[in-house]
Amino acid sequence: MSAAETAPRTTRSNTWWLIAPGVIWMLLFLVAPILLIVYVSFWTQTTFKIEPTLTLTSWKNFFGSDTYISSLFTTLRIWMIVLVTTFTIGYPTALFVGLFVRNKTLSTVLLVICVIPFWTSFLIRVLAWRPMLGKEGAINILLQKAGIISQPIEALLFTELSVIIGMTQIYVVFMVGPIAFMLGRIDPNIIEAARDLGAGFWRIFAKIIFPLSLPGVVVGAIFVSVMVLGEFATSAALSGRKVNLLGNIIVTQVGSLKWALASVTGVILTIVMGLVIAGFLRIVDLKREL
Amino acid sequence: MESRVLKPILAVYVVLFILFLYGPFFILGILSFQQGPEGGPQFPIIEWSTYWYRHIFGLVPPSRIAPLPLGQSLFRSLTLAFMTMVTSTVLGVMSAQAFRKKFKGSGFVFYLIVLGMMVPGVLTGLGTSLLANNFIGIERHWWSTAFVTHVVYTFPFAFLVMLAILNRFDGSVEEASWSLGVSPWRTFRKVTFPLIFPGVLSAMLFAFTLSYDEFSRTLFASGRDQTLPLAIYGTFSVEIHPNVFAFGVLTTVFSFALLSVYAILMSLSVRRARKIAMQEDIT
Repeated sequence: MSAAETAPRTTRSNTWWLIAPGVIWMLLFLVAPILLIVYVSFWTQTTFKIEPTLTLTSWKNFFGSDTYISSLFTTLRIWMIVLVTTFTIGYPTALFVGLFVRNKTLSTVLLVICVIPFWTSFLIRVLAWRPMLGKEGAINILLQKAGIISQPIEALLFTELSVIIGMTQIYVVFMVGPIAFMLGRIDPNIIEAARDLGAGFWRIFAKIIFPLSLPGVVVGAIFVSVMVLGEFATSAALSGRKVNLLGNIIVTQVGSLKWALASVTGVILTIVMGLVIAGFLRIVDLKREL
Repeated sequence: MESRVLKPILAVYVVLFILFLYGPFFILGILSFQQGPEGGPQFPIIEWSTYWYRHIFGLVPPSRIAPLPLGQSLFRSLTLAFMTMVTSTVLGVMSAQAFRKKFKGSGFVFYLIVLGMMVPGVLTGLGTSLLANNFIGIERHWWSTAFVTHVVYTFPFAFLVMLAILNRFDGSVEEASWSLGVSPWRTFRKVTFPLIFPGVLSAMLFAFTLSYDEFSRTLFASGRDQTLPLAIYGTFSVEIHPNVFAFGVLTTVFSFALLSVYAILMSLSVRRARKIAMQEDIT
């Protein structure tokens, strides 16, 4: 039949028609804008406008200013701290959900409970920490009632600590999910065999469970890193403008129409992010593991 | 055995973990019933009241606290989320459909699409604003520049969901339809689409909620008119009042309503599929 003969050719052209709109959309509205950021970072900035005369002024301004340099280091510091907190707080939860709960329904219910907060606006979730951490907030009141402290702790809100607490709560689930998924795939027979051979729990954990969960840790770490590095809302809401991340710098610069400097910051953020993701992918070959 | 000791400890830990996730919401919910308009966003509760809920709907006499600019921004957010949902689901279904055949450059296309969900909103927002402002020279609006950046973000999610669905899809029913001389488009409409519909619903749900709550992309790309998250962000810089908390409770309720609609549609489509399968068994 002729249909069988023409089939390969028509499917190939069909494939291109199907894929073209998506590819064009991404090239126009994702790749082109990012390349533009790189290009514009070399433009000349006047008071309210930028002109396409290439210059290094904005780059020199960025690296010549303590404010911008310190925002780069603040971003890196907060990223590392949040990575550690989400991992240490998230791993035991993932261990319980993925490994210790063998009942599929219960582990699904637990994961759904973790995901439900995402149904509330991200900004409201951030804002919810204010009455929690404030000087007259819930934590201070509870601690005072319990007689643990006599004076309210003022360092809880509008500090770097509050930004870290807020980010940890918002992003920890992105760490729990992938780790629990990898732990759930471990064949119970392997653990059984190790136990039969006389290995204690901690030995089994160090030699079997943790190495097998490592791809999940890496995926979770990539999720958390990408989101924390590009953050600015949590620091704006919970630090009282004391913590300035690269994202905050971009927002402020765009607000005052300093497009060139915003672009420089954007390029630096992109480079940092690329390095971080590449670093994580070196630890584990995800394509092989998943 | 040590795991017998460890399991209860971990169970207690998970309960504490869930408290950590939910704690702020409880406080938020409690404080939303603060007395108004004098009561502030902190303890103690002076007197329980629904003042701040009425404040949102403009049912209280005017006071020094300006009402949240919600009406217009809610409409914009819902429209934008709907546009984004339709566009990214169509793009997602098309691209995933293409990926069922091996083709040259499929690795590149895959990473190009997935990049959209990896690049932070600050960067895509900034880039799109630059494109609109300094190269094309058009004004930014929520329905133009913000819309395209939203799709860049949600399209990868729709694509991945559809890819997962189509990977498990049994192609032999389509082949049966083709061999009976039914045109590919009609086959897609009558055979493929009904079978992948649950996946399409999930992709739509993802796209809608992600766009509805999207903030960093919109902040740069939306120009003058605010969407809902921008209206909330606007309250950050000034003093906050319990009306924001009341609004948070309301949005959570709204999200649950949306989730319930999705669950109902999902179970209906599953039931229908089962009914069709049973009819096939009989005939």
